[in-house]
Amino acid sequence: MSAFTRRELLIAGSAALAAPLVSAQERRFDPQPGAWRSFETTTRVEVQNAKGATRVWLPLPSVDSDYQKPLEDRWTASSTEVRLVADPKDGTKMLVAEFAAGTTPVVELTSRFQTRSRAHDWSRKAGAADDADVLKRWLAPSDLMPVDGIVRDTAQTATKGAQSDVDKVRALYDWVVTNTYREPKVRGCGVGDIKAMLETGNLGGKCGDINALFVGLCRAVGVPARDVYGIRLVPSAFGYRELGGNPAKLQGAQHCRAEVFLKEHGWVAMDPADVGKVMRLETGEWIKDPAHPVVAPVRKALFGGWEGNWLAYNTAHDVVLPGASGGKLGFFMYPQAENTNGRYDALAPDDFKYTITARELAA
Amino acid sequence: MPRMASSVIDRSTRRAWLRGAMGMSFAVFATAHAQLGYDVQPWVGATPPLRLDDLDGRPLDLASLAGKAVLLNFWASWCEPCRAEMPSLERLARRREADGLLVLAVNFKESVPTVRRFLERTPLAFPVVLDRDGAAAKDWQVRVFPSTVLIDRTGRARGVVRGEMDWEGDAADALLRPLLETRTRI
Repeated sequence: MSAFTRRELLIAGSAALAAPLVSAQERRFDPQPGAWRSFETTTRVEVQNAKGATRVWLPLPSVDSDYQKPLEDRWTASSTEVRLVADPKDGTKMLVAEFAAGTTPVVELTSRFQTRSRAHDWSRKAGAADDADVLKRWLAPSDLMPVDGIVRDTAQTATKGAQSDVDKVRALYDWVVTNTYREPKVRGCGVGDIKAMLETGNLGGKCGDINALFVGLCRAVGVPARDVYGIRLVPSAFGYRELGGNPAKLQGAQHCRAEVFLKEHGWVAMDPADVGKVMRLETGEWIKDPAHPVVAPVRKALFGGWEGNWLAYNTAHDVVLPGASGGKLGFFMYPQAENTNGRYDALAPDDFKYTITARELAA
Repeated sequence: MPRMASSVIDRSTRRAWLRGAMGMSFAVFATAHAQLGYDVQPWVGATPPLRLDDLDGRPLDLASLAGKAVLLNFWASWCEPCRAEMPSLERLARRREADGLLVLAVNFKESVPTVRRFLERTPLAFPVVLDRDGAAAKDWQVRVFPSTVLIDRTGRARGVVRGEMDWEGDAADALLRPLLETRTRI
């Protein structure tokens, strides 16, 4: 009779197999702007319980830059009243579909685009300029992002002693990484208002909050900054489960990144929220030390870069949806729909019945 | 006055101060609750109006509830701490109704079908009204859910509890006592 039960042998065996995969020493996260990758996303919306006329709005890839190139948007719908519009103010593109009463609203949007990773070369300094009005825009407060009061106080304290804008941003990035996943003082849910997040010490809001907090703090000390709203597409090539998406089911994979404008570097990628996500969720334990071997490479690379397995929809705040009776959106990275009952809850995809999938296209 | 131990003087001074404060200041509770997942803020400024429709489209005006103490609970079905405190809020409402306490739940920006579905799963013994566009939450400066505004019998807001709370515990009792005082103050 064996000294071990079959169960014990199986457990020992699987532990041995698992060990190399979670070895802290081998974690690497080093996205580099190499070849362009081509993707296609498909967003399919079927509105349940449509009462009366229904409107649907879908975000389109609107960011055209050195890290992303929108290619083409196509759609099919159970209505002919479908159009692609661009906001004259900031170029934010969206699909707007209107369905008459008595029809079952269905719309399927396919977007093709190219992305690549970002990794800023900090040694390369060039006097970067952007339009003064543009920069003013990215210093201004928005509805969910006040930059006075506790926001300014927190930012000033965190950046004490910092001289250059790069130093300030580094201080704020580190502050967000170390502070945003501490235990909240108040057990509650925010709606993304960064003042409430700071007042209650509850920094894990509904969505897009941590980077919104980072952006607000930067603006409060005079560094132009913006959120970039988008969605993850495929798993990370570096094996970090929390930094990728499941292409078969991307509803819920929406993620907002950030950018800061630095005088000698231009617009630079930032994503302290994803550093926090790795700390909180990547392993079985909540890692509190940003220098931990699993966290350190991510913390380094997301200061100035990010991986190109993510689509940037837009950088829009306080978005007006054409034809909507509901109010402005703080941000637009989820499908939206409205009927005579009012606006659907964009964060409950089963009620709203939408799916988002992606596939990578051959080069 | 005979000499007394300083601690006795302090205690009686403190009691006198609390009686005098009589619900005007909730600061005494603030630090005590810091570890428990909620905080209590005194209400500053005027009490906003509130007039919102219930699920059947009937308007409910807070002003019509004068004479009762009201717990104005701002919540959303997607908010886990809101859902977690509902049972204790519900039991409190039933237990203290006879004392003149009313709970009024204000749902934040969800559709009628969504709220109906939630109430089918979790029936509530108190009225629910809908803040469809978030204007009421804005007027009442609510940015965290759940938030529960403590309103006395004269219709004046005295404080707000932010975060999930055990409404059947001693701490809740202490917060409710000043609201339920039959002696109303101008």
